[in-house]
Amino acid sequence: MTNLAARLLGPLALLGALLLPLTGGCGGANASNSVGKTFTFPIRGAGPGSMDPVRGSTTYDNQAVCHVYETLLQYKYLIEPVELEPLLCEAMPEISEDRLVYTFKLKRGVLFHDNECFEGGKGREMVAEDVIYSWKRMADKDVDTKSWWLLEETIRGFDEWRSSQNAAQTFDYDSNFEGLVALDSHTVQVTLTEPIQRFLYVLAMFQTSIVPREAVEMYGTGFPRNPVGTGPFIMDPDDWITSKSLDFSRNPNYRDEFYPNEWGPAEEAAGLHLAAGQKLPIVDHVRINCYAQDQPMWLEFRTGKLDYAQIPAENFLDAIRKRTKKLTKEYREEGITYHQVPLLDFIFRGFNMDDDLVGGYGEKQKKLRQAISLAMDLAEFNNTFYNGQNIVYDGMIPPGLDGHPDGHFCDAGYTGPNLDRARVLLKEAGYPNGEGLPVIDYYTSLSGNSAEQSEMMARQLNKIGVLLNPILLEFPQLIDAIDKRQARIFSFAWGSDYPDGENNLALFYGPNESPGSNHYNYKNDEYDALYESIRSMPPSPERSAIYAKMRDMVLEDVAFIGGMARTRNYLGTRWIRNFKPSENFWNWSKYIDIDESARRNN
Amino acid sequence: MWSYVARKLLYNIPVYLGIVLLLMVALRVNDPVSSMMGKNKSQEDMLAMKESLGLARPLLEQYFDVLRFDLNVMSWKNQGLTVKQMFMDSIKPSLSITLPALTLTSIISISIALISAFFRGRRIDRILMVLAVIGMSVSFLVYIIFGQYYGAYLLTKETSWDLFAIGGYESGIENWSYYCLLPVLISTLVAVGYDTRFYRAVMVEESGRDYIITAKAKGATKTKVMFVHMLKNAMIPIITRIMTTLPFLIMGSLLLEVYFNIPGMGRVLYKAIQEQDFPVVQSFVTIFAAIFILSNILTDVLYALVDPRVRLS
Repeated sequence: MTNLAARLLGPLALLGALLLPLTGGCGGANASNSVGKTFTFPIRGAGPGSMDPVRGSTTYDNQAVCHVYETLLQYKYLIEPVELEPLLCEAMPEISEDRLVYTFKLKRGVLFHDNECFEGGKGREMVAEDVIYSWKRMADKDVDTKSWWLLEETIRGFDEWRSSQNAAQTFDYDSNFEGLVALDSHTVQVTLTEPIQRFLYVLAMFQTSIVPREAVEMYGTGFPRNPVGTGPFIMDPDDWITSKSLDFSRNPNYRDEFYPNEWGPAEEAAGLHLAAGQKLPIVDHVRINCYAQDQPMWLEFRTGKLDYAQIPAENFLDAIRKRTKKLTKEYREEGITYHQVPLLDFIFRGFNMDDDLVGGYGEKQKKLRQAISLAMDLAEFNNTFYNGQNIVYDGMIPPGLDGHPDGHFCDAGYTGPNLDRARVLLKEAGYPNGEGLPVIDYYTSLSGNSAEQSEMMARQLNKIGVLLNPILLEFPQLIDAIDKRQARIFSFAWGSDYPDGENNLALFYGPNESPGSNHYNYKNDEYDALYESIRSMPPSPERSAIYAKMRDMVLEDVAFIGGMARTRNYLGTRWIRNFKPSENFWNWSKYIDIDESARRNN
Repeated sequence: MWSYVARKLLYNIPVYLGIVLLLMVALRVNDPVSSMMGKNKSQEDMLAMKESLGLARPLLEQYFDVLRFDLNVMSWKNQGLTVKQMFMDSIKPSLSITLPALTLTSIISISIALISAFFRGRRIDRILMVLAVIGMSVSFLVYIIFGQYYGAYLLTKETSWDLFAIGGYESGIENWSYYCLLPVLISTLVAVGYDTRFYRAVMVEESGRDYIITAKAKGATKTKVMFVHMLKNAMIPIITRIMTTLPFLIMGSLLLEVYFNIPGMGRVLYKAIQEQDFPVVQSFVTIFAAIFILSNILTDVLYALVDPRVRLS
């Protein structure tokens, strides 16, 4: 037995060594990373892929980038509906009478973060040339091309300059063109090709953030991991663990920016005005945790390790009473707050208008699509899959924007369910009770509850004799099938890039056909001409009438079934202050305050 | 032995080249640039991007490029990071879970198997085997979800003992137990059932061999027969089993890493496949294929080292 004991000693010693770390590290490891207030929030997904504004395109990129970088304009935090205000500018730009020339006066004393890319490691002042340089990067194909569409055909001479620079051996950032000039160190003048209405909205989008040339040149391909901006927070590259977390700290050189002193009645009622005049940012640290699955995010929120969270679908009824849409007693008693955030959202099932069966503009093809649309019951989808919180509407323009129909519906729409009319139209299309109609492939994403949604759609269409074959694909494959025009009917969603219906109307503009954003490959000369006219129209009754006309044209042709707009459900902890979540913009971490004593007493 | 190793390596070169070719074709069935460029792309921009990424070149040219094993290519989705950096950053979190889990699993399952074989047919053997079957019958995901809920969430919520993290990872030995121990225990719990049954079968088979009868005839105690003679001879299948799991140590545990928010290899590869991060998928799979082939060769070599009856030829 002595030998045996000796032999067993080895593995036991190994086990002991293995478990040795048990003696330390309990509990403290997940604590806030340093002294001061820390605001921790989740990203439901893989997180950002780039901290270079120009290369970013996803919401995750936006959520991370806007902590470090700033744009010329931003949205007012406490005003609904959204309204722009200056951020890096002293005031809103001066606009010439013909609305072609925009003059931006930049704030003085705005410093870039301290970084070794600057002389002596001290951040220098941001000047007009930085704005011009940052926007020129959007044209450089060696940088990326994902954000170019924002300024394409917008600034006079920019497109031609871009073509010539990309054709040349080297991209010369020092060469100029007439539409973008620095009048002095703090004044930028932009001349547009035409009075494009969306231009100011674009200047609030994170891709147009201002970056220093020194950092781009010093870090080269590593610049997306080494952010240097003017924003309220700084980030050390080592504090970004890919797909896991990002840590930001207060920018010690941040200029005097203050909590807004302008708010709406709802914001006042919620007490969001009480922090007015406080210097920004309020918290010392921001931590973003990325979650590939909802369960760990939800459990961390419930243990107080996250300061807010979206409610995952499977936990909705734990927190919210379905009938009243109010917090359950348990959550109320914990001091949790509930915030509904309507999205500028367009969920739809699109038809490929180039398809030989469901596409085309003839009467029969149109009637087939109308019949399919009328057979669908979107309210059933809403109640089954979205707890009845979505808004079902006619058209492509989400609620809250110019062009959205009053009461969500309009006469031109073919929103179902209306099975009798659907059957009549199907018969007129040449397929009485679906006879002679082949099984229709329906392409949708593999994620979430798409399989169940496909089943419901197949069941609903089966009522009029239309047979559906759902094809579930990973998202990249779905995009590929749509881009290649292989998908007859496809499911998709579009989040508005900026709060103007023009953005959604562009989805049906002929020149944007696949692989562009016109996934339906919808072509209508009259529509295209109208779209070209509204691009330069300021808001007016005349423009609203054209929006409605364009909406109705597409509705009559039934290029899609829908739409639907989602509402996101956010919960805030007892200790989060000034919390007004929005998905239209993401730079609101600077307004958030954390009551650390309330957190500690959790 | 070295000539055997060299010959095995030579035999496996065509296999490896075939794997790489298949991988390349599979990755190019759907246009990888299309999804990479987002929602507002034009045909012209896509062509320009393909050219700049070298994807417009003939497949054969790209094939030889892949075989150069240049891990300094940039990830498409994690900009500013090379594939090499991603590999180096993710291997440590993966090994923090998989290595202790394999060690614990092997020690526990071999010990239980020995006990079970020692008491073969008796009540303790039957109880242990029933537990093993129950253990292996439950889905890995169930262990993870329950483990996370009860082990991390409820324990913290109800007792304020913040012993285990619900998710996350920090490097450093002082953080290991907080972030990694619960995933390691879950992984061990799942694997012990499978391994115990396998090792018990091996032990039982060994217990019927002639050398065991000889040892017993010479008067060796039952304990000595089991733990000295039998265990030594059972090492071949044990080593085989452990060796076959080695590539998976490096690849990480996808489910654990996803649920526990551990930035390991499995999660990185999963995300890369989801996002069609072409250079990452291509490089990681070529590396994993090479590791798999090498570990198979290493297993054969270890046979000879452990068992003098095995000759490498």
